[in-house]
Amino acid sequence: MAETGKQTKPMTALLNEDYSLSAFDTSAVPKQLLPVLDVEKVTALTTVKVDPLAILKIVKHARESYPTPVNGQLLGMEIDGVLEITNAFAVPTQLGSEEDMTNYQIEMIQCLREVNIDSSLAGWYQSTRLGDFMQQPLLDVQTGYQATPNSSSVVLIHDTSKSEQAGNLSLRAFRLSQAYQSIANEGKFTTKNLVDKGLTYGNILEELPIQIETSALAKALLSELQWPANADQELLESLQRPSSFNNKLRAKRLADRSAISDDAEASSDALDNSLSGLLPSQPTAYLSRPMCTNALDLNQSLTGAGSLSRQLEAIGELIDEHIHDANQWMYWKRGEAKENNRKQQFLQRRATSNAARLARGEKPEPELTEKELDKMFRILPEPSRLDALLNTANLELLTKGVTQSRGPALAKMFMAQGLHESA
Amino acid sequence: MSMLNLNLPALASNLVKSRTTTTATTTAQQCYIHPVVLFSILDHYLRRNDNQDRVIGTLLGVRSDDGRVVEIRSCFAVPHFETNDQVEVDMEHHRSMYALHKKASAREQIVGWYATGNKLSKYAALIQDFYSREAAPFNAVHLVMDTEMNHGELGIKCLQGAPVGAGGHPENCIFLPLAHELQYPDAELTALQAAADSSDGLVSLISDMEQLEKTIVELCSMLERVSAYVAGVCSGKTKPNNVVGKYLMDMLAVVPKVDTKQFSTLFQSHLQDILMVAYLTNLTRAQLNIADRLQRVV
Repeated sequence: MAETGKQTKPMTALLNEDYSLSAFDTSAVPKQLLPVLDVEKVTALTTVKVDPLAILKIVKHARESYPTPVNGQLLGMEIDGVLEITNAFAVPTQLGSEEDMTNYQIEMIQCLREVNIDSSLAGWYQSTRLGDFMQQPLLDVQTGYQATPNSSSVVLIHDTSKSEQAGNLSLRAFRLSQAYQSIANEGKFTTKNLVDKGLTYGNILEELPIQIETSALAKALLSELQWPANADQELLESLQRPSSFNNKLRAKRLADRSAISDDAEASSDALDNSLSGLLPSQPTAYLSRPMCTNALDLNQSLTGAGSLSRQLEAIGELIDEHIHDANQWMYWKRGEAKENNRKQQFLQRRATSNAARLARGEKPEPELTEKELDKMFRILPEPSRLDALLNTANLELLTKGVTQSRGPALAKMFMAQGLHESA
Repeated sequence: MSMLNLNLPALASNLVKSRTTTTATTTAQQCYIHPVVLFSILDHYLRRNDNQDRVIGTLLGVRSDDGRVVEIRSCFAVPHFETNDQVEVDMEHHRSMYALHKKASAREQIVGWYATGNKLSKYAALIQDFYSREAAPFNAVHLVMDTEMNHGELGIKCLQGAPVGAGGHPENCIFLPLAHELQYPDAELTALQAAADSSDGLVSLISDMEQLEKTIVELCSMLERVSAYVAGVCSGKTKPNNVVGKYLMDMLAVVPKVDTKQFSTLFQSHLQDILMVAYLTNLTRAQLNIADRLQRVV
């Protein structure tokens, strides 16, 4: 938060003198910036607003190096609980040392500041392939970002393959939950701690709602992209040109498509590209022309270019790991229970023998301190539950993703059936 | 601070005369633009300095081996300063940004430059000359966007410079139009679509199911319009168009003929697969939940 820091430094001095904001002429500050002046206030983030530019940059970066996961920095500013992300830049993966990385980021931010781009870090982004992004490194990096109490950094997770298959942008914003942070600070992921702090596999990360904020100019560009001014003419020309881009694309798509998927896709593609523009009596309909018809692609949602089977494989592996974790924990638990049992028996024996000695008028054996007891009985410390927790969280994410993708798949199946019957 | 100082030739033409004559430049014939470039330019324009009415920047991308096809993949802003008789381009900024970009995406090279405004600035030829040397051995592409929307549109144009006259002075240059097309990879399309759905400039992301529903509704309305058009042609009310008819024919021809029996077998097996997967994943989730709760009880 370099920018806010710069603005507010003289202000804190004022605050200390007068104990109020009145010494500072607040009328000169735009109204929506007023909450920013209060440096000490910690506002919880409620929403993340992302500029289409930042989204496009993330999407491009993730797509170009797919399936290798990539990450980069987000630039923006937090105002009154809303984090506005206005720009992003890629961080090269092949940079070796930590120092190179830091230098790269500092240089990049300096360069961007020269052209008036927001120069304060708002978090980072990461791309994922199957949706199992819950990994130790991610949590560690985000812990670093959220180290200061009023930091508003988020991590954006983008799934390229899911976006392409479902025809719907897959972008999610996360922050570490309070429960996770407090346990991570102690470094003890024991069952007791987890229960006390209320941390489950479901609330390691908190999801924040994302909104896309489009500037007026960008909106103009979007509507122009959707329906260019001379579209009618271009359309007719492209229809007459046999080798036009659309047709090539269509031919390519048709070539690698199984029979069942053709009907839905072909009709939507062809209609979308050609006929919506031929009826100028309904100009409003132009704007509703869908830009992406992948949502209708039956083939992708059924097999997902093999991604469903990959996802199921990953689920299988995670389940194995889960069972392994559970067994390990059970083993520890059994050992612990055994030792505890022995300890209790020993104490009881000691108590009864002492009672007997007292009855006989002898001197009782001395009480043992906790330390001495610990030496006699080795109760192993509980293994860290973090790995198991993350594993479960990933499993939950994957299964949820698969379940959710089945709904649209079913809908599309029945659509294909309807088409087949009417044909 | 190393600045590229480009003066109008009448005042200090000796500065620019030292240019190496690039005679063997290949001219591009087709240009593909990625949408992220256009959004970057708009963002740069919105963040321009006071009293600045034009912004410029460097275009990065890839070329085909023979240099005839250019794909503009990204861009970055370059500060510049214009007065009545000279223009300064911050070369240091351009160089360091290019070096940084090179680290993140090694394949992208300098392919040209962009500027905003509805007409070319008088320094366009000079800047074009500079970028042509940067993009050597190829000719630089110049992208113009009318961000003031003087004609009610953004008027995206691609141009490339061609030298005129003898002597090869950099200021002697005409800009020839270049065919351009926007390129939308599937992943970018989803992002654009999500952004385009907004009515007041602010939109939340929707689930896959809602997205599908929307697409189906749109598809239905398109079908209705097509049917209305066909009905109009059949009844003679609408003027028939051969191209459209041919396209419709083509389209109907690609609908596969599947035997009803075969279809129902396919349908049933797919249905069973889907239900099975959904059942298993739900079961797994229930198990996880139980395991987690039991562990807490122990």
